[in-house]
Amino acid sequence: MPLLAGLMERFASQRPFSGLTIAACLHITAETAMLVRLLRAGGAAVRLAASNPLSTQDDIAAALAERYGIAVFARAGVDRRGYYRHIEQALGQGADLIIDDGGDLVNTLHTTASAVLPGVRGGCESTTTGVIRLRRMAAEGALAFPVIAANDTPAKRLVEGMCGTGQSVIDGILRATNTLLAGKTVVVAGFGASGRGVAERARGSGAQVIVTEIDPVRALDASLQGFRVLPMAQAAPLGEVFITATGSCDVIAAEHLAAMRDGAILANAGHFDVEIDVRALAGLAAEVHRDVRPHVDAYDLGDGRTVLLLAEGRVVNLVAAEGHPPEVMDLAFGLEALALAWLAGAVSPANTGGKLTVGVHEVPADLDAEAARLVLATMGVSVDTLTAAQQAYRESWRIGS
Amino acid sequence: MSADQLPYQVADLSLAAFGRKEIQLAEHEMPGLMAVRAEYAPSQPLRGAKITGSLHMTVQTAVLIETLVAIGAEVRWASCNIFSTQDHAAAAVAVGPDGTPDDPKGIPVFAWKGETLEEYWRCTELALSWPDGDGPNMLLDDGGDATLFVHKGAEYEQAGGVPSPAPGDPEEWVIILDRLRNSLADHPGKWTRVAGCVKGVSEETTTGVHRLYEMARAGTLLFPAINVNDSVTKSKFDNKYGCRHSLIDGINRGTDVLIGGKVAVVCGYGDVGKGCSESLRGQGARVVVTEIDPICALQAAMDGYQVATLEDMVSTADIFVTATGNRDVITADHMSRMKHQAIVGNIGHFDNEIDMAGLAAWPGIHRVNVKPQVDEWAFPAEEGRAGHAIIVLSEGRLLNLGNATGHPSFVMSNSFTNQVIAQVELFTRTGEYPVGVYTLPKHLDEKVARLHLDALGVRLTQLSKEQADYIGVSVDGPYKPETYRY
Repeated sequence: MPLLAGLMERFASQRPFSGLTIAACLHITAETAMLVRLLRAGGAAVRLAASNPLSTQDDIAAALAERYGIAVFARAGVDRRGYYRHIEQALGQGADLIIDDGGDLVNTLHTTASAVLPGVRGGCESTTTGVIRLRRMAAEGALAFPVIAANDTPAKRLVEGMCGTGQSVIDGILRATNTLLAGKTVVVAGFGASGRGVAERARGSGAQVIVTEIDPVRALDASLQGFRVLPMAQAAPLGEVFITATGSCDVIAAEHLAAMRDGAILANAGHFDVEIDVRALAGLAAEVHRDVRPHVDAYDLGDGRTVLLLAEGRVVNLVAAEGHPPEVMDLAFGLEALALAWLAGAVSPANTGGKLTVGVHEVPADLDAEAARLVLATMGVSVDTLTAAQQAYRESWRIGS
Repeated sequence: MSADQLPYQVADLSLAAFGRKEIQLAEHEMPGLMAVRAEYAPSQPLRGAKITGSLHMTVQTAVLIETLVAIGAEVRWASCNIFSTQDHAAAAVAVGPDGTPDDPKGIPVFAWKGETLEEYWRCTELALSWPDGDGPNMLLDDGGDATLFVHKGAEYEQAGGVPSPAPGDPEEWVIILDRLRNSLADHPGKWTRVAGCVKGVSEETTTGVHRLYEMARAGTLLFPAINVNDSVTKSKFDNKYGCRHSLIDGINRGTDVLIGGKVAVVCGYGDVGKGCSESLRGQGARVVVTEIDPICALQAAMDGYQVATLEDMVSTADIFVTATGNRDVITADHMSRMKHQAIVGNIGHFDNEIDMAGLAAWPGIHRVNVKPQVDEWAFPAEEGRAGHAIIVLSEGRLLNLGNATGHPSFVMSNSFTNQVIAQVELFTRTGEYPVGVYTLPKHLDEKVARLHLDALGVRLTQLSKEQADYIGVSVDGPYKPETYRY
């Protein structure tokens, strides 16, 4: 992770988090460990909980606690109560800054752990799902501090959604099922950056890809890329592999499940396990065979058809594979670290006199450019810079042809 | 002097300067052809060869023709398609590099864009007829029309006359029979004599090769043939990469519709169909393949294409392309059920893949020519359906040549280098090729590829002696067994 490694030196000398406590709720993976160490190098005390009960890599959690002095509260496979207790423990006696991945930490802060809420100056949210929740909170006036939406910058959309999710979701499905994608009909629900990445890679593996969308602009985009676009009701009986990447719930619902072919494979690439209606699937099933392979549950529908659900409908690239490759997380976390350092300088204790208002803010464009520039440098890619004449031309309305 | 006695027949000699400029550009993009031109120029292996060529008279073909001449051959040329001639290329070949439109010094070429079928077969006969009454001793064919003309001429001479066409015979066959009937009357015994002189034919395309193998099987083939089409550096490159380039070029020039988002049906998933499917997909079309061969159908499915029947797709698809080498693939009935403004085109060699005669005979149909090689065919309204019109490209003839400029020079350099090598083989080593159909030996196929690497900046890895021994080949090739499929 060359970007984080480069930032490590910068943060160690500048110490942007000196004296600050950062509470983080993230997937506990090797890449997350790098981010946490970077924050620590920047002077922060870090308290870490998992953002998904299935994605924790216990060896990483142990190493962070033992070798790097991070307070870690996470264990693979904990139940729902344990999961939220871990988040409360990470918040502990309070935090100055927070990093969230999905919004569960922010949600806990505003509900069961509201006692420590007043001390929080600001935070970063990593995922689209979390940002959607935050915007709803802000709209209702419930959000208590400024948050940077680090999920969605132009650079991150490209690298993480298109490339990272695209590659690792396919990886997860292959590891879980070992199914050949060539010749299969793959239905991808949602044509955002992640859906597009998945759809392109499925096509690259020789699958016929059908896209479902609710947004006409994205649907048009998918059509013009040569994908077949259908409503889920029409795609359901055609698909052999279904991948949800919408950020919405009940995308694959009971009526779709009822129409599916024998052997259909269901996987979710979205953050939460709500995109496939797993309860409806359980309701339809005559019998459920758990773990016919690791991360594969076979739902016998009792009429000769069996449907395979991967990773219990949770985010398949993290559960059945290893999540985003390090290169992807390098940019995402580098961006988040830059944003958090910028935030540390831009907000003041208890939001008095800070530069940022309470609400959800975009990552400043120059931070995105800075992150992309640093990554390009690590790749050995050089780019052009505008000449003074070009700069003048771009800024003038008087100069034409 | 009648038109038939002119040393050439082209549309407009004044186009020669433009044609020459394009030939010079093409020479740069045809490194293989220029390399064999340089290699053989000193030894002149085709000295004494009298070659009749029947092959699309394009800029690239001009480079082929001038290569054959540069290594010693006498050449006469006709196009093998009524629409495929590039008139400036034909003019430049007739004028030659050293001539002027007022004083042409090139080679006899009989071709222009938009020949009638009568004119086409007259051109073919002229290309086969040397001024001294003699014929060629070598054929270079594309689709087999020159070979067919010689064979049928000789056959009917033996039979004592040309048969009358049977009712229902295609229009083109009636024209061929008429032309042969006149020829037999004017020059008795000519085609038997020509067939006896021809040392061999090199055939460019699948369709022509198919005819050659049929004749060989039936025992009616009169001289040896080299199947250039099945050289790897021809069929894979020309059929796949060439069509991948020129199919969408033809559709764009003909119609300028946005291909992205359209449903395109490609009939046939051979090398041509594979190239066509890839190019349409590359433009963002959703491609559906039709196939009769389970292996090709499975290949298409594994490449991620929906495989359906034409019947499934006929009323919903936007673009239809035939690439089968077979007849009656898209019928008039199919076209009557297509969407309004559906685009129909063929990239297979002959114009029988789309039933144009059936379309023209459809009751109440109305044809409007939009521009050259683009026709709108309006079907009358029927009960339950308003009238609709479809767009047919190049009258069902191969649209990449009719609506665009065919394969790009680099691709043609591969197949034409094969052609030159095949001509040299047949002419200089005649004894090694008893009557039959041959493909070029693999080391020559590899040579053609090798001649194109430098231009692309390709750095080839060299086998060590130990590595070569390990896989049982010579360090200089051939590197693959004959059965290898690439």
